[in-house]
Amino acid sequence: MPTRSTAAPGTVSSRGRLPALLPTAWSLLLAALVLGPALGWGYVLSYDMVWVPRLDLRADTLGLGSALPRAVPSDAVVAVLDDVVPAVLLQKLVLLGALTVAGAGAAALVHERSVPARLVAATLAVWNPFVVERLVIGHWPLLVGYAVLPWVVVALRDRERPRLPSYLPLLLLLGSLSASAGLATAVAALAVGVRRSDARRTLVLLAWLAAANAPWVVAGLVQASTATSDPAGAELFATAGEGLLTGPSAALSFGGIWNAEVVPTSRTGWAGLAMTVLLLAAAAVGLLRVLRGRVHVDALGGLVVCWGVGTGLAVLSWAAPGALGRLAADVPGGGLVRDGSRLLGLAVPLVVVLVAVAVDALLERLPDPATRVLVGGVLALLPLSLMPDAAWGVAGRLDAVAYPVAYDDAREAVSRAPAGDAVSLPFVSYRAPVWNDSRRVLDPLGRYLDRPVVVNDELVVSGTRIAGEDPRAARVVTALDAPSPGERSALLREEGISVVVVEQIEGYPVPALEGTATLDGDLAVIELGAADTPRPSPTRRAAMAAAWLAWLLVPAGAVALGLRRRRQARRRTLGDTRRCARP
Amino acid sequence: MGTVVAPLVSIVAGAVLGVTTLMGVISSQTGAPDQSPANAEAPALEYGTVSE
Repeated sequence: MPTRSTAAPGTVSSRGRLPALLPTAWSLLLAALVLGPALGWGYVLSYDMVWVPRLDLRADTLGLGSALPRAVPSDAVVAVLDDVVPAVLLQKLVLLGALTVAGAGAAALVHERSVPARLVAATLAVWNPFVVERLVIGHWPLLVGYAVLPWVVVALRDRERPRLPSYLPLLLLLGSLSASAGLATAVAALAVGVRRSDARRTLVLLAWLAAANAPWVVAGLVQASTATSDPAGAELFATAGEGLLTGPSAALSFGGIWNAEVVPTSRTGWAGLAMTVLLLAAAAVGLLRVLRGRVHVDALGGLVVCWGVGTGLAVLSWAAPGALGRLAADVPGGGLVRDGSRLLGLAVPLVVVLVAVAVDALLERLPDPATRVLVGGVLALLPLSLMPDAAWGVAGRLDAVAYPVAYDDAREAVSRAPAGDAVSLPFVSYRAPVWNDSRRVLDPLGRYLDRPVVVNDELVVSGTRIAGEDPRAARVVTALDAPSPGERSALLREEGISVVVVEQIEGYPVPALEGTATLDGDLAVIELGAADTPRPSPTRRAAMAAAWLAWLLVPAGAVALGLRRRRQARRRTLGDTRRCARP
Repeated sequence: MGTVVAPLVSIVAGAVLGVTTLMGVISSQTGAPDQSPANAEAPALEYGTVSE
């Protein structure tokens, strides 16, 4: 007969406060170890992760810009929260919190298992290539969504609880800070939460998901461009092999990101292969026990669907990037899946559960508690030993740095410029500033300034250009190509640009412009004159207002739902007390 | 029986952790060298590099 909870091996699984807190404390320790110097004072700036001292709530952060809504609603959330908590602290809280919550969530997924099994689950969830690679490439909203995933599963898997938990909307909100994260959260919620026999529950779940994802979905639907992407991106962003591992085998152990620069070096050697083999072997043992009916796993079907979507998409992008490229080129929003391994976090919950089953199977065979503790500890340390360079800011790839004073000066100078938007030159997406130890980062000025900044969304990967989607950025490129400084400035003003910030970067010459220089130095500011910025149409503004209203209803609804249920529970308790008191 | 098995298991567990640590440390030190820009003064402002 299958058992939901196998006999907990040894004394280490005895229920109590310490065993319950141990996986969370362990996850916090692992998170601190991964982040290391990144937890120091300053901002962690790595590829797409750009945090600035003060992010303003502007048209583009609200999804009303001309570019694809890649940072909606995450930027708006940060813009509001950094008025309460300084951004420099908020970033640490988000990064440390995401990794800790991910580990604690994995342990909660297997809460019925022994403490060592839960510790192994927490380790796997924090110390894996998906977390490390996405951390270095700066996809922090995706990591927040990843942290929420196991908790969404835990919240929805209980078949004996017909009602959706009142805290679920908040989880869905946190899990939908970007388009990719929202997709992953929606897949997990629907895979685990849908009951064929309860259409009302499904409809309510769909409504919460729609509201939590409304800002980026609506911004994508009503934006100026076609929302389609260059098919070349799918070839370059396809799941890639890591050293001895091919794309699919790397994906099976949660790796395979397209960018070789963010892959931990240990993944490219024998250690990466060993980790993959051990992980697959443990998962296979766990699966065998589940299939033989020795262990019951809640919501197994939903977990398998999540694993299938995450791994399947990663393998598909490796096997047929052309197909995903056509999807990105022809279907609005199809570019969401061109980065094949981005949804691999969906595969983690199933593997974590199966590995925990295998760990308990092994521990049950050991003779005494001391040996179980020893072996359990070794198993929990194995991922660390095979990927040691994930430690200490992923071997120094992540660090906290301070912005040079020139950034504050530029922000102040730009704030005094006449009405209009800004452009940062040279007109390329990324920078590798010396003050950031030459680490690549999306141009921070896009967020640092107090007004919308038109940024170049064309990407260059291994020398190949991937066309951007923002029609306004393309027109800025045309303006900068004009033959004379006067014509360039005039065309930029026509495009709604009133001020330009120029950084001197060797190898990237900036064309001369006609205007008034109001700041000189590392970042020069040139005012071009007042310009009329393109205003979003009333329809677009109305649509975005409705989307944000729906989004705001999610936390409000969660609080209202929680209070209502508390009142109902109190009324029931009072009723029971009165009935008992009757003679 | 348990008195024999426990030390054996401990030795095996320690050996496994030792071997994997060695493997991890060696792999992290001997992987492919980081791609560095041809000119350190003018680094290529690219999004990333795909593996060959």
